[in-house]
Amino acid sequence: MIAFASCGTEKSLYSWYDSQDATYIYTKKGTDELLTKAMAQYEKVINKQKGVRKTVPPGVNAEYGYLLVKAGKKEEGLALLKAEIKAYPESETFISRIIKQLEK
Amino acid sequence: MRKYIILGIVALIMSSCAETITRGTQYPKMYEEKPLSIVVMPPINQTNSVEAKDYFYTTLYAPLCEKGYYVFSPMMTMEMFQSESAYDSEMFIEGNLAQFRNILGADAALFTIIKSWKRNNVGGVLTAGVEYILRSTKTGETLYQREGLIKVDTSVRSGGGGLLGALVDLAATAVSTAATDKVVAGRKCTLFVLSDMPEGRYSPKFDQDQKLPAGKKFIKATVK
Repeated sequence: MIAFASCGTEKSLYSWYDSQDATYIYTKKGTDELLTKAMAQYEKVINKQKGVRKTVPPGVNAEYGYLLVKAGKKEEGLALLKAEIKAYPESETFISRIIKQLEK
Repeated sequence: MRKYIILGIVALIMSSCAETITRGTQYPKMYEEKPLSIVVMPPINQTNSVEAKDYFYTTLYAPLCEKGYYVFSPMMTMEMFQSESAYDSEMFIEGNLAQFRNILGADAALFTIIKSWKRNNVGGVLTAGVEYILRSTKTGETLYQREGLIKVDTSVRSGGGGLLGALVDLAATAVSTAATDKVVAGRKCTLFVLSDMPEGRYSPKFDQDQKLPAGKKFIKATVK
């Protein structure tokens, strides 16, 4: 491990669990069952961060919020989209555009 | 997450440690501009495999986040690209990127060109040849560019969430094993090739990695 460490290996910044694959499969097949599975993964990513930053990764609050709004949970979803901007101010231009569209 | 660490180790052994060129010398513009936010452009597919573009698009996001960048959700930008008829990056790769700065607030855009994409069904090996180009939305200049010809053994599934995660995920993956295999393989390829990219603002090594070794501009390797 010493040799590895000297080459600059480090712990991952975020915990992703299976959110990436679950989301991918859902976007391909689009069933309610797969949406439920993907959402469970998002919950895990948001609530159980063991990475170096101990912070939700970029885009995850926004994606989950977006899916929640589409699933009819508007208030909860919009709150998550706003949480994205709070955690990552550089996302404001894009996310506030999305919020505007969803609020229509 | 364990797979990222293992891949990082493999990548470092195979590429970085043997090289003497530093990241600072290889990618000076990354350190000048210090991009924070990156939009992932839909891949440019030069292969006959129609599926490659779609598979590959989703593999770019997590590895770039792990590098310390803010990456716009591909799921959300994809919808925007499609509704704006911008799903073909060919028209942007040489063009003005100011609109991505204005509409998204992106500092840089990551283009990928898929040059080969072959799956050997017998051995479960996927060979992906991909060029990665990160361009500034401010100056239009190329900040980072690297190409890899990577063989990935898709029979080794490392399971992002550990054993429990893998068990929970079994049902989901059984639905579409072949599809997720390719996504996992694509992500490994991306992690491997981008391993020498300078760290972004959210990495503890941000702006302190100029002296770390950079890899070769073109890299050929096998990743498990």
